[in-house]
Amino acid sequence: MTASTSPETASPLPPRSAGHPPPQRGEVWRRVALLSVLFPLLASPAFSAETSDRLPKQPLVVDLAAQGRQTGKPGGDIVTLVSKARDIRYISTYAYTRLVGYDEKLALQPDILEKFENDGDKVYTFTLREGHRWSDGQPFTAEDIRYWWEDVALNKELSPSGPPEFMMVDGQPPRFELIDPLHVRFTWDKPNPRFLPELASPRDPFIYRPAHYLKKFHAKYASKAEIEPLVKQAKVKGWAALHNRLDAMFEQTNPDLPTLQPWRVTNTAPAARFVFVRNPYYHRVDTNGQQLPYIDKVNMDVAAGGLLAAKANAGEADLLFRGLNMEDIPILREGERAKGYRTHLWPTARGSELALYPNLTVTDPVWRQLNRDLRYRRALSLAIDRRTLNNALLFGLGTEGNDTVVEKSPLYKPEYRTLNAGYDPGEASRLLDEVGLTQRNGAGIRLLPDGRELEIVVETDGESSMLTDGLTLISEFWREVGVKLFVKPQDRTVLRNRAYSGAAVMVAAQGLDLAMPTAEMSPDELAPVHQDTYAWPKWGQYVETRGKEGEACDIPEAKVLIDLNARWMATADNAEQATIWAEMLKNRAENQWVIGTVSGALQPVVAKTRLLNVPDKQTYSWKPTALIGVYRMDQFYWGPNPKEASR
Amino acid sequence: MIRYLARRLLTMAVTLLIISALVFVIIKLPPGDFLTNQIAELRSQGEAASVAKAQFLMQQYGLDRPVWEQYLRWIGLWPNPEGAFNGLIQGNWGWSFEYDRPVREVVGDALWLTLVVNLAVVIFVHLVSIPIAIYSATRQYSIGDYVATFIGYIGLATPSFLLALVMLFYANRWFEVSIGGLYDSAYSGLPWTWDKIRSLLAHLVVPTLVIGLGGTAAMIRRMRANLLDELGKQYVVTARAKGLPPTRALLKYPFRMSLNPFIADIGNLLPHLISGSVLVSLVLSLPTVGPILLAALKSQDQFLAGFILMFVAMLTVIGMLISDLLLAWLDPRIRLGGDGR
Repeated sequence: MTASTSPETASPLPPRSAGHPPPQRGEVWRRVALLSVLFPLLASPAFSAETSDRLPKQPLVVDLAAQGRQTGKPGGDIVTLVSKARDIRYISTYAYTRLVGYDEKLALQPDILEKFENDGDKVYTFTLREGHRWSDGQPFTAEDIRYWWEDVALNKELSPSGPPEFMMVDGQPPRFELIDPLHVRFTWDKPNPRFLPELASPRDPFIYRPAHYLKKFHAKYASKAEIEPLVKQAKVKGWAALHNRLDAMFEQTNPDLPTLQPWRVTNTAPAARFVFVRNPYYHRVDTNGQQLPYIDKVNMDVAAGGLLAAKANAGEADLLFRGLNMEDIPILREGERAKGYRTHLWPTARGSELALYPNLTVTDPVWRQLNRDLRYRRALSLAIDRRTLNNALLFGLGTEGNDTVVEKSPLYKPEYRTLNAGYDPGEASRLLDEVGLTQRNGAGIRLLPDGRELEIVVETDGESSMLTDGLTLISEFWREVGVKLFVKPQDRTVLRNRAYSGAAVMVAAQGLDLAMPTAEMSPDELAPVHQDTYAWPKWGQYVETRGKEGEACDIPEAKVLIDLNARWMATADNAEQATIWAEMLKNRAENQWVIGTVSGALQPVVAKTRLLNVPDKQTYSWKPTALIGVYRMDQFYWGPNPKEASR
Repeated sequence: MIRYLARRLLTMAVTLLIISALVFVIIKLPPGDFLTNQIAELRSQGEAASVAKAQFLMQQYGLDRPVWEQYLRWIGLWPNPEGAFNGLIQGNWGWSFEYDRPVREVVGDALWLTLVVNLAVVIFVHLVSIPIAIYSATRQYSIGDYVATFIGYIGLATPSFLLALVMLFYANRWFEVSIGGLYDSAYSGLPWTWDKIRSLLAHLVVPTLVIGLGGTAAMIRRMRANLLDELGKQYVVTARAKGLPPTRALLKYPFRMSLNPFIADIGNLLPHLISGSVLVSLVLSLPTVGPILLAALKSQDQFLAGFILMFVAMLTVIGMLISDLLLAWLDPRIRLGGDGR
């Protein structure tokens, strides 16, 4: 039930959400009957007292007016769609409730924590909220963080590969102190600037666990006789497997697992509809003292990916963004008026919608030499007519240029975007000649030094039509300078394996993920330290495996990036971190490691017109905004029925 | 007869064993498996913590073992890490990685909804096509015959997924039937009330029409041809000459004979009940096993995909047996082979 202080809260809830089959007559009467029973209860002082019992002593008070939003009214359900059952796990991204999280201006703020102290990025002291409870009413205390660190992360059976990487600095774990039930401290010898941004990331690492619940399944706390039957019943092998299975903080597969999120899951797969109900002990309130979230229930319906836009068009979703893309805009717009929703178009923050990754660690020696030649990469970049791409792919609304951070980032400089990113086929041709690719065959295609055609096989996962369409256009542009392009779409897994093994010459994919960074976010996506960057899989593998596999980076300009990344990791000084970011971005633009094209696709965000507090225009990205997470879905609410309003 | 049955059952078991090996090999053909793919994906998202969990699962379900051992374990001819034989033969359907629960729970609901959809289709096909076929056979080359033939060809030629989308759109516009699914999602997870059944029936119309249309056309053509064959035969002419009423003269013998090929088809009908509607189920997002199978194959959720394929194979084998027995019983001209008598 909702926190209610005024009687009008209990007056007819907006009957579910608009657009759904109107409730049958019998159901309406049942609701009315139910409400008339509940009404006195809700209005009674006893109930309000109970409400404050459910809140921590110091709840997080959200000042909606200061954010330019309206104070809402609790109640109602919303329906959103997912294309497969597993995707319900993104609720923790949408709902975005973290120990420490970003606000709309991308500053880190305590959220579940009452406050945090950060001493030189080495000593982090967390203060919990007194009286904060899990969704099952049990107290949330420092023990829950200790349990995660000592009994889950450091337990060899539960975490065979040790604690998560962001907890380790130079391979060393932090010292952990449980000061009292409300205070914990993590101490590293060297700075760990990644710690807080990681806690605020779109995928919550959940460094706290409901100890009171999970201890029942932990060999250290429960006796063998207690666990054994549970293990048998769940048909798993051993207590660790059972614990891991029930400990589904992210996956949302265990309705019994207590949570601190605004909504908790109530059913498991397979199901056509997943129902999330409000957490009665949620820690945020608005300035009127109403407990958040405003929405009582979030329903996630599973529908085939291809039907999402059609279902939105038929008004069957109250809120939908993930799974929609630019091509869907016309069909979404078409149903707006009849079905009472709006299609908000949010610019996405991504380095580039279509980026080409010349593989610097490709096995073929001839291609390797070419890909490593800056003049060659620059020529390919200059030979792309980005204006045409922009018009064809993004209705001319995009931004043309390199794969780099977007304008909204405080680290942005125009030259990152524009350096060698114009359209100059003459210069491109001259550069290719200079590289030594002067021989041509009868069709005008240049020849490689060993006599093969200069035919670049660009491999892609073929899942996005924007990529394949874009590549078709680029093949036209490149033919003008004597370069042939062949698109090879394939399964993502195969693509990945081919790139990692050095078989792929060039890969086309989306550009930078973290394209709206602040200096305190890790710049590791820019450095060759991860295998999954298609430009240098083997260098990344070398760093990731600490030299056991892959190849050491042997290009000085790229090595600089590794050093810069290491320097960023070792410093607690924000100004120095900003300098490092700037150097890395400049290096990226100058060296054209990745050839960017156009950025700024629009993300359709469909929301019912009556669903209020949904921003009209915001930046959409996975990292750092957690899709819509930082815009606080728990503040969305159902406005008055338009019919009632007109009366 | 008993000896014949015993022999048939034995060959069925051998056939299923061979099929199971083929199924497993084919599922394993693409590089990697569910968990290695999972690990790669998690790694690319920087989710190092879950990578460990996936690696742990991998050991647990023996995905790090050679393929032949995984196969034997799956069908239950090889002991699992605890030394117990526990596979398909022992009635354990395996584990689904994608859903993180036993296969039995994953396919449970979907199996019977699949049956509902496909039974509706079978009934629809027969109800529509038999009368039309009889009409067009008895009035060959009449205008009605041409019209029925023409409509039948259109039904055969229209891509079912396209038709499905168009019909979905108009069902939503005109009758407010929600898009996709087998009942309105508001009823999901609720017990079966009259309202929910009504919603199911409303949602059944589009899939039944779409899946059934192609089948209807085919059945009209075959039935018409069979009937025409029979109608020209001596015994029909004799029966008519002796003054048997026309309806009786049609239904008593020629019609029965023309049904013969369809009974022989029962063997195919059973597996068709499960796998016949995959494409349309996908497009219409019906909660049947079709989409589950496709998703399982794509994500290499090997035990789930393997089970569904084996289930379909088993239905085929059983269906074949049933149709053989039925035919022998129905049509005295057919006898069990050689020494099986």
